[in-house]
Formats: sequence, C-alpha cells, structure tokens
Amino acid sequence: MGSKLLEKKRKVRVEELESEDELAEGAFDGVLSQSDDDEFDNVNSDEENENDEHEDASEDEDDDDALLSDDIPSDVDHDDVMSKLVKGTEDVEITEPGVDPKRNDDDDDGRNYRVEKDANGNERYVYDEIDPVYDSDDSDAQEPANTIGNIPLSFYDSYPHIGYDINGKKIMRPAAGDALQSLLDSIEVPKGWTGLTDINTGNPLNLSEEEMELVRRVQQGLITDDLHDPYPETVEYFTSIEEKMPLSSAPEPKRRFLPSKNEAKQVMKLVRAIREGRILPYKPPEEREKEDEEKDDAHFDLWQNEEPALANPMHIPAPKLAPPGYDLSYNPPEEYLPTQEERDEWEKLDPEERPKEYLPQKYNALRRVPAYDHTVKERFERSMDLYLAPRIRKNRLNIDPNSLLPKLPSPSELRPFPTVAQTIFRGHEGRVRSVAIDPMGISVASGGDDGTVRVWELLTGRQVWSAKLSSDEPVNAVRWRPVKDSFILSAAAGEDIFLMVPSHASAAPALDKASRDILAAGFGYATNGSQPTLPVGKEPPAKWARPGTKLEDEGVLVRITVRKTVKVISWHRRGDHFATVSPSGQRSSVAIHTLSKHLTQIPFRKLSGLAQTAAFHPLRPLFFVATQRTIRCYDLQKLELVKVVQPGAKWISSFDIHPGGDNLIVGSYDKRLLWHDLDLSNRPYKTMRFHGEAIRTVRFHKSLPLFADASDDGSLQIFHGKVPNDQLENPTIVPVKVLKGHKVMSKLGVLDLDWHPKEPWCVSAGADGTIRLWM
Amino acid sequence: MARIKKKGTTGNAKNYITRTQAVKKLQISLPDFRKLCIWKGIYPREPRNKRKVTKSITASTTFYYTKDIQYLLHEPLLQKFRDQKTLEKKISKALGRGDVTDAARWERGAARPEKTGKPRYTLQHVVRERYPTFIDALRDLDDCLSMLFLFANLPSTSAVPAKMIARCERLTLEFQHYLIVSHSLRKSFLSIKGIYYQANIQGEDILWLVPYKFNQRIVGDVDFRIMGTFVEFYMTLLGFVNYRLFTSIGLKYPPKFDQLKDEQGAELGAFLLEGVNIATDGDVKAITNEAPEHGVDPKVQAEVNKIVQQLKEDDTNGDAAPKEAESDEEGVEATDAIDKFEPVAPGGDVLPQPEQSSSDPAELFSNFTVYLSRETPRQPLEFILRAFGCKRIGWDSVLGEGSFTTDESDPSITHQIVDRPVIQAVTSTEGDGEDNQTAQKLAQNQRFPGRIYVQPQWVWDCVNDEELKSPELYAPGAALPPHLSPFVRKTQGQYDPTLPLEAQETEAEAIDADLAEAEDGDEDDEDVENDMDVDEDDEEEEAGEDFGGFDEEEQEEASDDDDEEATRQRQRELEAELAGASVKSKGVDPKTKAKLEQKKALEKKAREEAEDLERAKGMLSKKKRKLFEQMQYTNNKKSAEDLKLRSKRRKLEKEKAAAKGKTQ
Repeated sequence: MGSKLLEKKRKVRVEELESEDELAEGAFDGVLSQSDDDEFDNVNSDEENENDEHEDASEDEDDDDALLSDDIPSDVDHDDVMSKLVKGTEDVEITEPGVDPKRNDDDDDGRNYRVEKDANGNERYVYDEIDPVYDSDDSDAQEPANTIGNIPLSFYDSYPHIGYDINGKKIMRPAAGDALQSLLDSIEVPKGWTGLTDINTGNPLNLSEEEMELVRRVQQGLITDDLHDPYPETVEYFTSIEEKMPLSSAPEPKRRFLPSKNEAKQVMKLVRAIREGRILPYKPPEEREKEDEEKDDAHFDLWQNEEPALANPMHIPAPKLAPPGYDLSYNPPEEYLPTQEERDEWEKLDPEERPKEYLPQKYNALRRVPAYDHTVKERFERSMDLYLAPRIRKNRLNIDPNSLLPKLPSPSELRPFPTVAQTIFRGHEGRVRSVAIDPMGISVASGGDDGTVRVWELLTGRQVWSAKLSSDEPVNAVRWRPVKDSFILSAAAGEDIFLMVPSHASAAPALDKASRDILAAGFGYATNGSQPTLPVGKEPPAKWARPGTKLEDEGVLVRITVRKTVKVISWHRRGDHFATVSPSGQRSSVAIHTLSKHLTQIPFRKLSGLAQTAAFHPLRPLFFVATQRTIRCYDLQKLELVKVVQPGAKWISSFDIHPGGDNLIVGSYDKRLLWHDLDLSNRPYKTMRFHGEAIRTVRFHKSLPLFADASDDGSLQIFHGKVPNDQLENPTIVPVKVLKGHKVMSKLGVLDLDWHPKEPWCVSAGADGTIRLWM
Repeated sequence: MARIKKKGTTGNAKNYITRTQAVKKLQISLPDFRKLCIWKGIYPREPRNKRKVTKSITASTTFYYTKDIQYLLHEPLLQKFRDQKTLEKKISKALGRGDVTDAARWERGAARPEKTGKPRYTLQHVVRERYPTFIDALRDLDDCLSMLFLFANLPSTSAVPAKMIARCERLTLEFQHYLIVSHSLRKSFLSIKGIYYQANIQGEDILWLVPYKFNQRIVGDVDFRIMGTFVEFYMTLLGFVNYRLFTSIGLKYPPKFDQLKDEQGAELGAFLLEGVNIATDGDVKAITNEAPEHGVDPKVQAEVNKIVQQLKEDDTNGDAAPKEAESDEEGVEATDAIDKFEPVAPGGDVLPQPEQSSSDPAELFSNFTVYLSRETPRQPLEFILRAFGCKRIGWDSVLGEGSFTTDESDPSITHQIVDRPVIQAVTSTEGDGEDNQTAQKLAQNQRFPGRIYVQPQWVWDCVNDEELKSPELYAPGAALPPHLSPFVRKTQGQYDPTLPLEAQETEAEAIDADLAEAEDGDEDDEDVENDMDVDEDDEEEEAGEDFGGFDEEEQEEASDDDDEEATRQRQRELEAELAGASVKSKGVDPKTKAKLEQKKALEKKAREEAEDLERAKGMLSKKKRKLFEQMQYTNNKKSAEDLKLRSKRRKLEKEKAAAKGKTQ
C-alpha cells in the first residue's frame, strides 16, 4: 500500500523530470510547486477534512504539540519529502497512518467514497473530493494558503507561526536549518534557488527547471508552450492541383463557328446605305467648320447670376492709356505746333528717348490726314505692357511742395546782421589766408601768401602797419591776443610763430609799452633758467628766440620755431597761453605755448587722426582738438578726455565754440555746417547744407546771436543762432543772409573770416587778395 | 533657441517665382505660358527687394506671384495645351517618317472624324473669371475695343487670318449698332493717330481709338502671335458683352447679318436688328437703316418708333421713378430736365448744380438729312451721325451700299458734308447756289440751293460741344477753327487754348509783353539808334532768363546783370551829358518807364522769394529736400511748357494783328 502510494508519487514526479533528484535531496523542495501539492491534496483530502474536524475538536492549546508531532514522521513509507512538507494540514493528514491505505484501495476499486466509522461506530460514507483536474475553475481548491493578507511577514517574526490557513490553523514556521546547514546553503547554491522567501510558507522560494524555463520565455516574449509551432508549413489544397478532365464532355456546337446571318444582313444594309450615300461616315469638313463657328458664336448671358466679388487686394488693374491732349488733334491750335528747332531736336533724338512719340501736326482738311505709322506698333507695345510689364502701385504725393518748407522768421525781424560789403582792403599779393579783428575792434590784421602781415584800420581800409615775415612761406594764421590791455599780434609763417606789437601812429604809447613788456617778460624767465631741462640729445618742442634786428625794428619781437608748418593759432581767453596746430606734424601737431614763460609743451603724445584745429573753451578749463572726423574735449585740470563729439563729417575744416560754451559749430570740407549741442548729444543737432563748395571757416559772434561760415564758393553765410537761457529750449537757427563778393580763384573762395567784438560786422579774407568788411 | 531657418523657404522668396520656374512648374512651353498669362490676366510683379527673392546668382528679371501660378495650375486650358502638343508631336513624327498622308490624317483628326484633330476650347470661363460682374468687363473694354477696331481694319496675312478679321469687323459693327441704338456715344476726337470715341455705358466711360481707313503700315518688329492671343480673348469678351448689351435693350443677338450687303460694302447697313419682345409678324427692324431706300415702310417705321420710345421710357423710368407721372409726354419731358437744387431754407451752403446737358444726344442731328460727298470718310461719319440721332444719311454709291440716297441732288437733303478744295472761280459764288448755270465749270464744286455745306470737322465739334455749331465757320475752303480734344480735363493754372491769353498769363509776362510791344513801337519809330538796340537786347536776354524759371544761379547772374545794368545806365547818362545830348533822346516815354519800374519791382520780389526759398530749403532734411526738389522739378517743367505755349501764342497773335494791320 505504502509502496503504491509511493509509486503514484513517483508517477507524479515523472512529469517533472528534473525535479526528481531535487526531491530526492528533499530539504530544499520547492514549496510552491503547485502541481505536487495539488496532487497531494487530492490524494488525502478526506483525511484532511477529518483531520480538520479532529483538530477542531481538540483545543488550540496543543499547537506546539502538533508542531512537534508534525516534525516526527510516523509514516515509514513516506519519503523524507513527505516529512519535510510543512503544509500544516497535510502533515496532519499524513500523521493518520491508518486511513491512507484504505483510501488508496478505494481508489483502486474505482469507487469514489470510503466507508468509515463515525464516532458512534456507525458506518459513514466519505466521498472523495472531486478532482477538478485540469479545467476546474474552483480557485478555492488551492492548497490552504496563508490568510494573513497583505502584511509583511516580518510581523510574525517573533512568533513560531507565520500565519493562519483557511481553517484558522496556525501555519508554523518551517524549521530553520541549523547554522551549519545555512552555511552549506550559502556555499552551495542549489538548483532553482531564487533567494526569495515564500510568503505563504516562510520557506525559501525555489523554482523548478521547468518553471525557470517558463519565466524565461515570458520574459523574452516567446510563446510559453515549447511545443507550439508558430510557423507551420502551409499545405496548398486546391491551387496546385491540376484538373485533368473537362467538366462536360459535350462537343462544341457548330453555331459557335459560323458567322451570324442576321448580323451580316444588318452590316450589308449599312454598307449599302453608305454606298448609296444615304449615310455619311462623317460630316464634310466645310459643314464641320460651319458648325464650329456656330458653336463659337453661341452667345449667352455670361453674367446672368453675377455677384460682385470683392476685388483681390493684390490685383492691380492695368492703368488706362492717357486720353489724347490738344496736341494730338489733326487741327490743333497753332501754338502747339513745334518750331523748326524743336522739330530738329525731336528728330535728332533716338526714337526711344523722345518725350512724345509724335510731333503735333496741323492739316487744314480732314482728307489730308495721312495714316499714322505707328498704330500697329503702339497697340503691340500696349499689349506687351499688359502682359509683360510688372505693375506696382505708386502713391503719388499730391501736396503743395511749399508745405514741406519750414516756416522761418523773416530776416528783417532778426536784424542786425551784416548785409553789404562796406570796405574792401586791397594790398595783399596773392591770397589772404587769415584775418583777425583786434579785441578793441579798431584794426584788422591779415596775413597772406606774400608772407606779410598787415594791419589795417577797420573802417577806412587804410593799411597802417605791415611786416614781411617770410619771403617764401605764406602767413597761415594771424590772431590777436584776446586781452584788451595789450596790443599783441601772433602770426604763423611756415614753422615760425611770430609775436609782434604792430605799433603805429594811432596806437596809444602806453599800450604799446605794456605789450612790449609782456613779450619781453618771457625772455627774463627763460634766462632765469627755470625752463624744464630736457634730456640731452632730445630736441625741444620749440625754440623761442628774437627774430633779428630788422624785424624787431618793425615790432616783431619774438619768434618761436616749431617742427612743422603751423596752420592754426588759438589763444586762451586770458592771453597767457595759446595753442598752435600743425596738421602735418605727427605727434607734435598740437602745441601749447605759454607766453609768460616762453615755454612750449606738447600735450598729446599720441592723437588718433590728424589734428586739424584746436581751441580753448571760452569759460571753462577745457581744450578742444579737432581731428579729421571727431572733436575731442579735454579737461585741462584733470588732464583727461571729457567728451568726443562726432559731427559725422568726412573732414572737419574748422569749428568754433559758442561764447555761452554749450554749443559748437563745425564746418567741414564736405560742404556741411553742423550745429552741436554739447549737453544734448555728441551727434549734430542740426545739419545745414547751403554751400556748393567746401566750408573753410566757421565763427560765432562774441556777443550777438550771430554766426557765419565762409566757403570756397566765394560766399559767406550769416546765420542767426540764438541759444536760449532755458536749457530745455532748442536753439533757433535761421539763415539770414548770403554775402557774395569774393571772386573764386583756382577753386578757392573765402579763406577766413572774423567778427567784430561788439558790432554786427565781419571781415572776410578772400583768395582773390582782398579783405572785405561786411556791415 | 529656435531652429535656424533655411534661406529662401519663407517670406518673399516663397511669394515670388521667376518665369522660368513658373514655366517648369506648369510643364508647358513658353509660348503656351504666354498665352495663358494673357488670357488669364496674369502679369509679372516687381518684388520690393529682388535679391531677397532670387536664389540664383544671375538676376532674374520677371517675377510672378507664386499664388498666381498656383492658380494657373488648375486651369482646364492647360490640358488643351497638352493635347495640342501631343498632336503636334504625332504630326511631326509622321512627317519625320515621310508619311504625309498619316500626318494629314492626324491633322484632320481621322481618329475622330466628327471633330478636327485640334483640341477645341472656349475662353468663356476665363472671361467670367476675370470679370465677375458685367461692370468689370465694361471697365476693361478700352483696350479690347481699340484692338478689335484695329484688327478689323488690318489686311489679312498668314499671321492674321481673314476669318479673324471678319469676326472682329462683325463684332465691332455690332457694338457700334448698340451705341447707335442706345445713344451712348458721348464724345469723339479727330487726332493724327485716328479717331477717338468715348461712350458711356452704364456709367462707365469707355475710350477707344479707331485708326483711319488706310492700309496699316507695320513698322518695327510686331509679333502678331501675341496680338492674336489678345484678339482671341477680346473677341470672346466683346461677343458676350455685345450679347448682354443687346439683350439689355431688348434686341436679339446676334443680329441678322446680310452677307450680300456686306460684300457690297454696306458695313453698318448689313445688319438687321430684331427685337426680342415682339415675336409677331414683321419682327425685323432695321434700326440703323431707318432710311430704307425710298419707300419707308410706315408699318416698320411705326414699330421702330415704338421700340425707341419704349427704350426711352425704360431709361427715364430707371432714372426717375419717383417722379409723378402727369401725362405721358409731360412725364418724359419732366424727366429729361435735370432737377435743380435750390436752397429752400436760408443758411445752407450753395453747392454746384448738376450740369445741364444742353441737348439730348439723340436729338442733335435728328432732323437732318445728310449727304456725304465722295471724298469724306463715310464710316466714322455714318456712325457718329447715326449715334447722334441722324436717321437719313446718303452718300455716293462709290462709298458702298446702304445709303439713304445715292442721288446728290435729292431735294430732301439738308446738309452736305464736303471735304474738297474750292476752285477759285467758285469762291465768288459760294454761299448762293443760284448761279450754278455754268454747269460744266461748276461740276466739281456744284452747290445745291437750300442746303448747308460743311466740312467734316463740323460734325465732331457739334458732338463735342453738344450744340450745333455755326456752319459758316466750317464752310468748304474756310480755315477751320482748331479742333480741340474734348478729353482734356481743365486744371487750374494750366494753359487752356480756349481762354484768351490775358486771362492766364502771369503779371511778369504781361509786363514783358507790353514792354516788348512798346519797344517794337520804338523800333518802328527810330531804329537808327544803336544804343537803343543794345539795351533792347539786354532786356530780352533778361526776359529769357526769367522764362527759365527760378534757377538760383541764373537768378544771381540776373541780379549781377541788374547791377551792371544800372552802372551802365549811369555811364550812359554821363556820356550823354558830356556829349551834350539829352538823355531823353533814348525816347523812353513815361508809360514804358512805369512798366519798367514795375518790372524791376517784380524781379526784385522774385529774387527775394528765391532767396527765402533757398534759406528754407537749407533747413530741410536731406530726404525732404530731395522730395521738394523733385516736386519742384516737375512743376517747373509743366509751367515751362505752359510758358512756352503762351509765348508762342503771343507771338502768333502779334503776327496776326500785324497781318491784319497790313491788309488794312
């Protein structure tokens, strides 16, 4: 009996081939190998029930005992697998040895019940549990699982059991191997070892080879069944089978081979009709053409259900041709007829350049009008225009051009300003390069190409003093010392700067004396030896010397020689310093001279661009230097660059600072006059282009709201330029007068101008050798 | 960061397409593309920035909107072009094989004997597409009419088939018939290029040019294929426009066409207009031929009158429906008059009144029987006379079929239009037709009594001024008054030849003219004095400079001259004093002196103004200055032209006066 059971067991085991030896090993039997358990269940389910009852009857107190009893395998026949199975109930069943053989016998007999004795000794039929085998949907028929639910197993760590089965019995913790065992376990990893613990049993969860294979397949997305072939070979049923025999063996009827008589008759009928001309195969071409024409002529109301569509905004309709004017008439008014010259001119022009493609003609009778030659051509050109000319919408400005002009106040409201040439000073040979009115406004100094400096009486134009500074170099600049207590004139000829006292009869002797003293003081300073000593071998920036007795007799007292030709002299308002600019001198182009110390300094070691001109600020200790493109403003006290003004002109010729100190005018060789507001921006506030040629000089009046520029086109322009006291207001600039008079000689017109210190008068030096006083 | 966009995938680069690209896209040949563009009214566009549009290095010249080309892509005509191309290929292949019969078969379209080989197409849908409403079509009729009238007068060549010419002629004649019946012709102008006509149809002014009937000389390279494409479209357009116009006035379209009469040169007379409404007996109305040969069929006449009356009523009803209808006649009368808008309550502004047309264009020549002499252009005269109401027009039989009478001596003739020179012997007898006894001699210039003889220009001037001009001015042999274009819109300040010179010249000019006159007088008196001559020359020079406009430099020179002039004058005076002669010998009378002073003042003013202008101009920004100068340039050009015209006229008038003086 026991062997039988064992046999059955074996049989079951056979299905799981590889697990055989594993089972033999026993200790690590997979607790979750369901098939085994099921089998096992089915086998001794009745015992189970019985056992349940029995258990129910007995108290819970003997839990520990039961466990103990479990541990002791009573059935010899059972292999150690059995003994090791820790499923509580099963173990209990198994502990009833007497029942099993009987049941197995019953099974063998084919009966599904057993006869047992109940408590009273009566016979009792105990039916087998129905084996759901494969297709059972009874999920409860599973082996008794742990019912603790979804809580961690660790809650039971301190108990001997690990939960309860469906019957409320404790599921005991499987015996943990001793230390050695666990050591062995850790060394020898058994087959199917997963390292997990089964929740239900608390045993280590091992998987059989088969299960592992299953898991692998599921993981790889393969078909779980090993035997299933997803690609079986196709079996063609019908297509490849050739039917050898016909469906019907009846012979083909004859009528299938004979032409139809009826059809032949019909055809003959048509043939006859065609032969006789009753039927035409197609229409004769003439008729066809006529029909086509009719079709072309078929007219109907094309706009029957017209609906006004909004015009496509991108569509530009073709412009209509201009209607004919008076001159196109065959009999136009006579004034429209061209004169002989106009006719010749018209004929001389290329046909494409003619303003009109026809000449007005007069015919005294309609019958004389000939054919117009260009009718077809004009129409053709119109067609070409219609399909080939790009169309553009052009907005024609239909405004009065005068509305564009700004409203300027009338010049008569802005008087006084110079209007006419009052005096012409003649005497210079060649160009007059520079002109200046002395600070008292009595005399005019001028220098020119002939190398002389002349002093004139302003109002009369009489020459009162002259000195020839150089025989070959022109006098490029003439400037008065701007202080009224002296009468000192500075002039530049070539590399030399001369300081002179043009003493003449009308000058006060006291003034003359004072002037000479001022000039002589420097020599004393120089001889005192307090000049900064220069390193040996380095040339001083300038040499201060006496010009020689001949000149000294005339009143020229000091000569300063610098390295390059001096073009501009500019005095500081106090009269002790003056700056000279020699554009060709590279780094020594700007020099500042101190009159009282006979000292010359070169403020800039390096300058970006060629220096053109320089000036002192009229009020503050600022110094302006103009290069070709920019004007730089330096603070003389802090010795730093304050501002860079960018007029935007290509080549600055000259500039002047408003006596108020906040505005600047710049003249440029590219014909522009620019007004800068220094506080506002470093870009020009106003750009004026009135001259046809380069602007040479610009100059503010010292006290009146006037400024002027002188240009190579031989004209001076006088502007009214009022700078308001209010910072927020813009300066008003109104051109008031163009002064013409100087002749243009070899493309040079007016070279210099200067304002009278008080009166609205100015003098200008022309390339024609004259100086003019305008008032 | 957004993805970097590839160049040429958005914006204008996508909006425009070059012609080559367009042709490639449509997969047709360039001539076919041209045809398609002409018919569909697709024209090139000028992109704002060409370089942004082209992807190629070489600059393309012609750009189209991509959307326009996209729109062409759906054109059914494209398929026709392709069919045509395949047919041509077949034929050329056959010819290449040397198989002429096969080629002929293809050309005939033997495969489809009921049709020609050529694909047939119509342009109706294109017309409808391009002109969604009838008014749109009318608006674009100028070029259509000019082109068709030109082609109607062209000789047939291989490029211009006779059939096309005949069709153009028919369409244009039909259109003329409409104008005659509806009296919508407004103005006409005899120019050296041809005759301009202006009609007003449904409020749209249509202006077209009809060349004179001569063989057209074709100069330069004229591609008749392009013109032919246009004509093809225009023929379709005018056909449908004519249909609509005819049916709108209750006439049947197409009108009956008498081939025989046409061959005899009846032109307008070859058509018989039929009413649509009266489909009963005698439904044929020869509306233009209201002068049937001799026996005017009273019945037909009555019917015609009825139709015309009906038309008029339709018109007037349309114009002034709310008018109360008193009696039939009065109602018509009342609607003809233009309403006057008189202020009822005081205080309103007075608006310009609607212009009263002095006479109904249908009435202008309605009472006349006109005879056209052999030398006059019959077609334009017939058309214009009929369009302005003349019903009986006769002409010499050499001018063609269809005249009211070919007999010059017909007593019913009231006006005869002649354009032949007057033989000297006859001029004395001109005016009174009684002395035409010497028949042999007068045969050339025979005059019939009780008849007005005028030159053709009379008709045009009457039409343009909407009144009957005095025929004396237009008598044969008389110097005709100038024929003025009625299309010139008069603008303030522009030269107008109809106004007297005094009304338009500027003050300075008037003074100049007076001075010149005075000097002329002086010259007549004492032309011995040399000083005087020099002086005069100077004066004229100055005047000439003035004409040149306000050029700055000239102005300066003038001022310089002026100064020098003054000094010279002083010098002269001194010299005269020295010589002991009186300065007065210069003979400047006080009037001239005053004028001279006036002139000086004017010049001074002009100079000051020029100076002011220069000052103000300098203060403008560069952009504005350029704009200002441009505007001034055009204005100056215009005024210079006007100035030239005025001076020419002054000269002419002077000459005329002198001639008159001499004859007196």
